[in-house]
Amino acid sequence: MASKVSPEIRAKYTVTIGIECHVQFKTETKLFAGVANDARDAAPNTLISHICFGLPGALPVLNKEAVHLGIKAAFALGTRPQKYSAFDRKHYFYPDLPLGYQITQFTHPIIRGGSLTIDVDGEQKTIRIHEAHLEADAGKSTHPAGTNYSLVDLNRAGTPLLEIVSEPDMHTAADAKAYAKELYLRMRYADVSDCNLYYGNMRFDVNVSVSKTDVLGTRTETKNLNSFKAVEKAVEYEVNRQIERLEKGEQIIQETRGWDDAKQVTFSQRSKEDAHDYRYFPDPDLPPIELDDALIDAVAGEMPVMPDEWRRRLSGLGLDVSQTDSLLEGELDSAEVSYLLLIEEVIDQKDFAKALANWFVNLEIPLRNDETARINGDLTNQNRLRMYRAVFELVKTNKLSSSNAKVLLTKLLAGPEVADIEDFAKQHNLIQESDEGELAKVVAKVIEENPKAAEDVKAGEMKAIGFLVGQVMKHTQGRANPGVVQQIIKTQLGL
Amino acid sequence: MTQLTREDVLKLARLARLDLTDEEVETYRKELSAVLDYVAQLDGVDVAGLEPTSQVTGLKNVMREDKVIDYGMSPHDLLRLAPKSQDGQIKVKRMLG
Repeated sequence: MASKVSPEIRAKYTVTIGIECHVQFKTETKLFAGVANDARDAAPNTLISHICFGLPGALPVLNKEAVHLGIKAAFALGTRPQKYSAFDRKHYFYPDLPLGYQITQFTHPIIRGGSLTIDVDGEQKTIRIHEAHLEADAGKSTHPAGTNYSLVDLNRAGTPLLEIVSEPDMHTAADAKAYAKELYLRMRYADVSDCNLYYGNMRFDVNVSVSKTDVLGTRTETKNLNSFKAVEKAVEYEVNRQIERLEKGEQIIQETRGWDDAKQVTFSQRSKEDAHDYRYFPDPDLPPIELDDALIDAVAGEMPVMPDEWRRRLSGLGLDVSQTDSLLEGELDSAEVSYLLLIEEVIDQKDFAKALANWFVNLEIPLRNDETARINGDLTNQNRLRMYRAVFELVKTNKLSSSNAKVLLTKLLAGPEVADIEDFAKQHNLIQESDEGELAKVVAKVIEENPKAAEDVKAGEMKAIGFLVGQVMKHTQGRANPGVVQQIIKTQLGL
Repeated sequence: MTQLTREDVLKLARLARLDLTDEEVETYRKELSAVLDYVAQLDGVDVAGLEPTSQVTGLKNVMREDKVIDYGMSPHDLLRLAPKSQDGQIKVKRMLG
């Protein structure tokens, strides 16, 4: 929507944003029932049990793996898990919640504290985590159009979620988007969730308020955003909407809002007057979780390198933020290739490491996401490294131009594997002609064929030299070294 | 003496999804006030230095392996327990968006 709020008015307000994110854990079974968890392709109400249905006498039993993933998530958020955590009942009545309450951790969450760092336009910002708790998801309801009923599918009821609650440390829509992306990366690297946003594996609720004073304004919560873009747009919309209201002398109503992705607007869902009184109390069916240091330390030892640590390790290569992010995201595209480990292996050879990073970012990662492109699946990481190194050496010794390096790598990546890469490049006419005797003949011919351009160059029109170089490149099918060609042209024209 | 208001009772009724007659509201207003007074005796107990207790069993870390368990109940059997169903789904009064 076109904002009616001018930048001058906008500047008078401080925006405060906090985000709650629900992450679906990648367990085999539900949080409290031994029932399969992956509801994506399952027919409605086929992944259910007496526990999911909340039948009288049914007892929940905690899934050990969900606790394990909770510990990993704590490390991913830069903290250690709480040694003591416990479950509470949060009461509300809704048809997709057969128990009449949601099992969650209200008083003793498994994670408190932690933080992550985001980079917004070159500025590093630390966003603190308030807490994160385990809880069971509700079922799914649909409302067939033109009927007076709703349908409930309980496949998703009881799926383990980690709800991560940030401190209100964000102040712009860009902050919110960067935070959501960073959470995504960390949860993916920690391997606690598939993080498939399309399937709702990560859902974001954004709390937004604006104020002209030090006192926080009334906030709204926009729920169930399932893309980074929606997070950004919903914040932007709410900030404008709230400022417009306040400027008109109206109040902000504390309420829950939804996001209409088609119209790109938020809309009121329920007001504070209707907000539930949840009547939390400890769930007597579930004994508390007590973790000892030995277990926590053992899980710490399983943790892979997290994105922030990778950024630190790559920092010497002079990559910009978007290149580093491409590498961090590209790393997740394939289980077989580890771009980051390969770069790290050669990190002390800075020029090669940098070239490698650039080729990954600009060539291999885009190729992998291009459905028409082919990448040899049998190419091992070590052979990949050998291949890139051979190409790097050809470029370094001026035998290969940087554009032909990309052509060569594209062919090599498509496979099958090639033993002698220089020979292969020669066969494909990709090796640069640096033999000055040969090149001199071609240059002489080009000058003869293009007397006008040659005169222009002599008259000081240096733009024309580019044309002549281009002609030489054409004659040599791109194999000539442009720097050498330019030098020969100048010599032959007596410059 | 606790004196619940009529609004207190109506709020509780709404949270519990109960539809009360005026007469019932008045009955529960009195009865619930008395119940609260009875429970309020606990406020007189000195709990200084005591940890809040949510479990009295002494159990902790009761967990199961992350494996599918055959509970011997088919989805069909469970679905039959719902008052109404349609196309494998539980049919309920329409919920507002």
